[in-house]
Amino acid sequence: MHITRTGTVTALGAVTALVLVGCSGGNSANNSSGDSTSLTVNTSFTIETADPGNSYDPTGNTVAKALYETLVDFEGSDVSTPVPGLASWTQNDDATEFTFTIADGRTFSDGSPVEASDVVFSLERIQAMTEAKPAFLLEGLSFAEVDDSTVTVSSETPKLALPALLASPALGILNADVVAEHGGSTDGEDTAQEWLDANSAGSGPYTLDSIDLTSQITLAENPEYTGEHAPGYSRIVLRNVSESATQLINLKGGDADVALDLNGDQASGLGDGFTVDSVPSGQTIFLLVNQDDEVGGVAASPEFASAVRTAIDGDGLLELAGTGSVQATGVIPPGYSGALSDPVGQDLDATAAALTEAGYDGETIRLSFPNDYPVGGVEFTPLAERIQDQLKSAGINVELAPAPFASELDAYVNGTEQMGLWFWAPDYADSTNFLPFAPGLKVGLRAGWTAEDNPAIADVAAEAYAASSTEDRDAALSDFAAQMQESGPFIPLIVPASNIATADSVTGAAYNSVWTIDLAELAPAE
Amino acid sequence: MQKTAATRSPASPLAGFLLRRLGTSVLLLIGVTLVTFLLTNLVPGDPVTAALGEGPASDPATREAFIQAHGLDKPAPVQYVMYLGALLTGDLGRSLTTGQPVVADLAKAIPATIELAVAAIVLSLAVSLVLGTLAAYRRGMVTDQVLRVLTLIGLSVPTFWLALVAFYVFFLQLGVVPGSGRISPSITPPPTVTGLYTVDYLLNGDSVGFLDALAHLTLPVLVLSLFTIGLLTRFVRTSVLEVLDTDYVRAARAKGLGGWRVVSAYVLRGASLPILTVVGVAFGALLSGTVLVESVFSWPGLGSYSYNAARNLDLPGIMGVGLVVGVIYLVINLVVDLFYAILDPRVRLS
Repeated sequence: MHITRTGTVTALGAVTALVLVGCSGGNSANNSSGDSTSLTVNTSFTIETADPGNSYDPTGNTVAKALYETLVDFEGSDVSTPVPGLASWTQNDDATEFTFTIADGRTFSDGSPVEASDVVFSLERIQAMTEAKPAFLLEGLSFAEVDDSTVTVSSETPKLALPALLASPALGILNADVVAEHGGSTDGEDTAQEWLDANSAGSGPYTLDSIDLTSQITLAENPEYTGEHAPGYSRIVLRNVSESATQLINLKGGDADVALDLNGDQASGLGDGFTVDSVPSGQTIFLLVNQDDEVGGVAASPEFASAVRTAIDGDGLLELAGTGSVQATGVIPPGYSGALSDPVGQDLDATAAALTEAGYDGETIRLSFPNDYPVGGVEFTPLAERIQDQLKSAGINVELAPAPFASELDAYVNGTEQMGLWFWAPDYADSTNFLPFAPGLKVGLRAGWTAEDNPAIADVAAEAYAASSTEDRDAALSDFAAQMQESGPFIPLIVPASNIATADSVTGAAYNSVWTIDLAELAPAE
Repeated sequence: MQKTAATRSPASPLAGFLLRRLGTSVLLLIGVTLVTFLLTNLVPGDPVTAALGEGPASDPATREAFIQAHGLDKPAPVQYVMYLGALLTGDLGRSLTTGQPVVADLAKAIPATIELAVAAIVLSLAVSLVLGTLAAYRRGMVTDQVLRVLTLIGLSVPTFWLALVAFYVFFLQLGVVPGSGRISPSITPPPTVTGLYTVDYLLNGDSVGFLDALAHLTLPVLVLSLFTIGLLTRFVRTSVLEVLDTDYVRAARAKGLGGWRVVSAYVLRGASLPILTVVGVAFGALLSGTVLVESVFSWPGLGSYSYNAARNLDLPGIMGVGLVVGVIYLVINLVVDLFYAILDPRVRLS
């Protein structure tokens, strides 16, 4: 039989058509955009696992917050006041023992009640997993079940920050029985992560429907949810969109309802039909001036750091940061206890005097910074160039030393940069997270700044850590922030904005510095 | 005709050729792992802090556990030997960035990129064969000049910029293509068989999913193809021009064969060898160099994975990508050589 070429092509076309026609048809999922039961969120994924006990990444926190509840919560963007989550609490006078009482009627997604044993299991499980990223949060804490609905948390030292710490989504409460059935344990031999990467076992408003850590995570409404924030959608799809420009186009084109990573310019240019929540994030971009003589050289003095501080024109830098960003007023950002109200202004006379006192004579100072890691949409290279210009005008010569984040991080952490441009984000929502800037502590040492260099600030930081009353602690934190601005080696510059953009069909979006966005607070507009 | 004792089986040279290729390929791949390992270790940086983040990395217990779990406490040569040992069992280690086995990461990323690259190379080849042949036949005429300018544009336009502009125009302004990603948010991914969404939807009998995946493939493929079309069109034109001057093509024309018959049976067949070489190289480049297009279109492929691995000093991830890219080029070269032998009987595999 002779088959012509035309005949072959026709046959192929017919087969393809038959295959398509013969397909059983529709994909069963709901339509997203314009469908009030489904919501699509675009964000650049930073997530390794859906197991909260092993997760410590921004996207991981957003997902864990939707799937699991914590003992303590925050309302909207306000991270200054912890509020009851799964439980309310009391504390002893020393702030070393906290008693949590689980609210009545709270249930997991399988309908079983949330009990004290679940709380103890969840937290002890993390403590036992030494490789788990959130394990460091629970250092020095112990947990005890008093009765079915009561748990005590004890600390070796006063821990006023405990309620805020327990609001971390990584410390979400798991259904102990279910997780134990799938390898969960508190003896350090836990193997439940694999199961928790495909299933959820929490009491949050949503459950895990499907997950691909590189492209898409789908959450489904938890019908057994009994908490305060009932889910607004039957289905939420988080999609990994790494480019903010793509997020913008997706949002405008209706392929996404929410975009989490737009920079200030993109957010401000959205126009009608969209709502943007632009608020300062919890991150602070700062300069450090190394105080170690061997590293800092001529720059290694509080006077030189002071000269840099008064040489900076904060408004000029803020132009690079976009809508919603604010000038940093100190190492503690706005919204946190102890934050100062005003930034240090530019004063070139003071700069000149400080430079003379520091013995500076025009030497070139090397400014190192990561050039591939924008923070809150702020690119470090133009920021460093602007700083270089401003310092040049004040008589300080700076050469720029950009490098990839991963390779420069080592120099920063080990305190070998003469001058550095970096950022700091709190591990959890409490002002004690900014005390590591003190002399002799983690960030202070990165600037070669030991406790002997400034015992007064070291003491006030220790006082803030050890305080057992909120009043004493707030006073110490304010004192700490003020003294750091007076004589510290850090020059806080910008608190970049976080911009959450939503289509007008969505309400309830609010940035939170701990979990970025609480998906349970999102709902269709009336 | 009976086979004589001196007549060798046609399978023998091919088997010998493949065996020799396999041997050299293994050596080359070991070389790839060694170079990648050395270069990654030479880069200053602390992969532990980069992977864990500042808070967890500052906890000595967490840090120590991470170092032990990934064997980072051992001297570099020991780490390398351990890596090779695990490699023999198909274990590429666990990614420091994603926390998942590198094999599992790559099993997801590679099909996504293959789907893009195969579609792009097929489209590019089809278009450039037509345009290149047309340009050669119309040498020096307006058509040739116009095509020269168009191919120059294709070669010159930055891919990242083109991807963004094309996405803006065709999705946002004209609405003729869907948004980013491999499928729409409302569509459920297919059960994994090949990892190629279009194929897996077909195998699953899901026409809605298939058409959605096909629609999502369209724009990234067009953007990726523009450069390759520009490159291949020029090579096709040059190769066809050389063949057009040969005696056998003139003889075919003199015999009165039709234009299409001459082009398909004589001209393109004669010009195919140099074109095939360039197609192989272009296909390799498409498979290993789609990072910018993947980034704009949120395509979770090999390019995105390799970028994230490099950015985080993720040694197992980088090594895995290096191996895959090495295998890609070795396989493509092998296939090109085999095609040479098929297309030109004068070429001996031995």
